[in-house]
Amino acid sequence: MAEKRITIRATRFDPDKDTAPRLQSYDIPFSDESMVVLDALNHIKAHVDGSLSYRWSCRMGICGSCGMMVNGTPKLTCNAFLRDYWPRSITVEPLQNFPIVRDLVIDMESFMLKLKSIKPWIIRKQDYPLGAGEHRQTMEQIDEFRQFSECINCMLCYAACPVYGLNNEFLGPAATALARRYNLDSRDQGIKERLPVIANAEGIWECSFVGECSVVCPKGVDPAKAIQQTKLDTTMRFVLPYGNREE
Amino acid sequence: MKAPPVSADAPAPATSRVYMPEMGRGWWLRQRHYFLYMAREFTAVPMALWLLWFLVEIQRASNGPKGYYPHSSIGFVVFSVIVLGFALYHSYTFLSLAGVIIHIKGVPSRLIVLSQFALWLGASVVIAAVLIGFAR
Repeated sequence: MAEKRITIRATRFDPDKDTAPRLQSYDIPFSDESMVVLDALNHIKAHVDGSLSYRWSCRMGICGSCGMMVNGTPKLTCNAFLRDYWPRSITVEPLQNFPIVRDLVIDMESFMLKLKSIKPWIIRKQDYPLGAGEHRQTMEQIDEFRQFSECINCMLCYAACPVYGLNNEFLGPAATALARRYNLDSRDQGIKERLPVIANAEGIWECSFVGECSVVCPKGVDPAKAIQQTKLDTTMRFVLPYGNREE
Repeated sequence: MKAPPVSADAPAPATSRVYMPEMGRGWWLRQRHYFLYMAREFTAVPMALWLLWFLVEIQRASNGPKGYYPHSSIGFVVFSVIVLGFALYHSYTFLSLAGVIIHIKGVPSRLIVLSQFALWLGASVVIAAVLIGFAR
C-alpha cells in the first residue's frame, strides 16, 4: 500500500535575504494518526530542511511556545492533528499581528512588556513576615479567579484579535485576563496600581468585543469575559459613591 | 500604554531586521466570526441615521398637531423596516452577551441572559401600550 503523505506549506523568511515572507511546500510522510502539526515541522527540520525555524518546547499544550497560524487559525501546533486536515494541505504561518523574526518565529517583546506592565503578582500593602502564617483562601475565593490563572501566554488570543492587529498598543486579551486574575484574588491589594494600565484608552476601552480571543484559547480561559467584566467593574468604581475607596 | 521601566540587567533590544505584517482591508471577510462582528457593529450606522431622522420629525411636530404631517413615503417605510431588522439584530447580540459581561455570584449566566430578554420584552410591551394609548 502506498505511503500516506501530506503537504505542509510553511512560511520562510530570512531577514538577511528576503524582503517579505514566502511559503515553501514540503511533502512528508503521514505515518501515524496521532501526528500533530508540530511533529510534521520536526520531521521537516530533522529530515528535509534543517534551516526551518520555529519555537516549541513541551509538546503537550502546557508551555504555550508552539502557537502558529494553522490554515489561517491560531493554534498550538502540538494540539493540531494532521488527521483533521488530511488529505488537504496544511499552511503553517507565524502568529499574525506580530513582527516576524525568522520563518515561523515572531517577536514577542511587545507582549512581554504588556504582561509586565499589569504587575502579575500578588501586591500587598503591608507584607507580613513568613512566620505570621499563610494568606488563607476558601474554595469559593479561589473559584473567583481560577479560570483566569489557566493562561499559558501562548499569544493565540493576540493573533485572533483584529483590534490588536490594527493597534498593537492595545493591552490585549491575555494581559487583561491576568490582571483580572490578580484583581479578583482575595490576597491581592494591588488593583489601584493596575488600574492606570488596564483602564486607560489602550486598555480595556480599546476592546470592541470581537470575542475571537476566547474562541481560540486552548486552555478555556475567557479573556473577552475578563475584559468586559473589568469594564463594568471600573465603571461601577467610578460611578458609585465610595467606589474608589481603599480596599 | 507606556512600557515599564527597563531594569539595568535587561537584555539589549534585538537589532536584527524583522518583517512587520499589516492587516489587509478585507480582514473581516476572512472568517465568519469577524464578518458577524462587523455586521453587529455596522447596524449602529443605519440606526443612527434613523434616529437623526426621528429628531427632525420631533422638531417638525414641535408646533403641535396642526399642520404636522408625518413622513410616510414608501421609501421611508421600507428604510424603517430595514432599520428595525438591524435594531432587533443589534439588541439580540447585545443581550446575548449580557451573560458574559454581568457577573453575579451564584447566578448562572444563562439566567442573566434570559432575564435581559424578559426585560426587553416587558419594556417593548409597555412602550407599545403607551404609544397605542396616545394614538387613540
